[in-house]
Amino acid sequence: MNCSTAQERFADLLDGRLAGAGTAEVRAHLASCPGCQREYSALAQTLTALDALPAAKPGPALRKNFYAMLEEEKNSAASISAAVIRRRHAARVSLWRWILAPVAAGALAVGAFLAGTRFAPPAPAPGLDPATRQELAALRKQVDSVNQLVNFSLLQQRSTSERLQSVLASVDAKNPNPKVITDLIGLLALDPSTNVRLSALDALYPHADQQVVRTSVLATLPRDPSPLVQVAMIDFLVAARDREAAPELERMARSETVDRAVRDAAKRGLAQL
Amino acid sequence: MDPATDTLSDHELMLAVRDGELDALGELFERHHGPLYGFLVKFTGSRTAAEDIAQTVFQRMLKYRHTYRDDGSFTAWMYHLARRCAADHFRKSNAAPAATDPAELRHHADDAPHAGDRAATRDDHALLHTALKRLDRDDREVLLLSRFQELSFNEIAAVLECSVGAAKVRAHRALRELRDTYFQLQKENLS
Repeated sequence: MNCSTAQERFADLLDGRLAGAGTAEVRAHLASCPGCQREYSALAQTLTALDALPAAKPGPALRKNFYAMLEEEKNSAASISAAVIRRRHAARVSLWRWILAPVAAGALAVGAFLAGTRFAPPAPAPGLDPATRQELAALRKQVDSVNQLVNFSLLQQRSTSERLQSVLASVDAKNPNPKVITDLIGLLALDPSTNVRLSALDALYPHADQQVVRTSVLATLPRDPSPLVQVAMIDFLVAARDREAAPELERMARSETVDRAVRDAAKRGLAQL
Repeated sequence: MDPATDTLSDHELMLAVRDGELDALGELFERHHGPLYGFLVKFTGSRTAAEDIAQTVFQRMLKYRHTYRDDGSFTAWMYHLARRCAADHFRKSNAAPAATDPAELRHHADDAPHAGDRAATRDDHALLHTALKRLDRDDREVLLLSRFQELSFNEIAAVLECSVGAAKVRAHRALRELRDTYFQLQKENLS
């Protein structure tokens, strides 16, 4: 073993975790080479000094601030759960009024009709030619889109605070419901209120592991009119480690027409992805 | 310490936090805030910055708890977050004028004539702190992670987002850099 090979293995010898097979040769070389002995000794001396540095101890403020923050978060989570319980209770009490209300009845009828066409599509009649089948499939797709728009427009008939309440009520990470997620994505993409869109984004965090959620946030990002929401969306995509967001973030980071705060957030996001 | 959480691994505790049992983060804080803070003091050279960053790390654990993965290593995740928080800190501090931190003053060499051996030791520590500060930030980071944080090189590679081989090479290169600077400072100190 020559000096260069031996010195490449010094790291293994100096780090107790790596010492093992192969270090015997290095030790043998060290025993017979004064130059490598000096090199090894200097490195070992530096490590000893480094290990002897006293460990700094944090002051009491760190612990105090941490538990204050934890308590705040618990209260915030508790308030969300309480809002959900209150809303469910209120919904049960006033259910009969909703059923009697003509608008609600109409909405239910439309919903029931569209849901029927969506979930129980009629079997295609035997003997249909491929062109007719294709037309039928296209028609069914249009009905599905209309269904989603009707749902969303019904949601939009409520006030901002009611829409916020519906977002809060959807924060139930243990029971992710595809319909709830679709509604949240709809609110994020189309709601005119910045607060509602930000709340919808927060409510989507528990579902960030779903591809459809990440793709929807990414698709909505360039179209959102508020830099605040755009920055929050970038944080969301970065937190979800969505590497598919990189090209869009690169575009935003370069674009002069994009708000400066958003450009900066895109640059930061790219560095983190 | 709650006996129920005492026996759980870090990973199990963080999974519980992810599922809404936020109190489990208290146990993780008690286990890790000391070593994390120690790492950050050496990494940033500032107690104030280390406290701020450590605080932010635990804030982000709460905020991004849903992103913690089933197959994750808690310690590697924590240092991954710490690395990002420290990068944010350095970005901000480069843009703002640096304030004098009184907590740092006691790390400077003691010039009192009667300080004796303790002063010599403190001087030595101060030299090493200076040498650490002079290291490239990436080199300092890998050296401190490999030496103090009881992380395997697999975990260090995950924190630094590089291969295990690259992490080892970088750690050894950083040690050589530190040795050169440290010995040079010692010579200057003696002359």
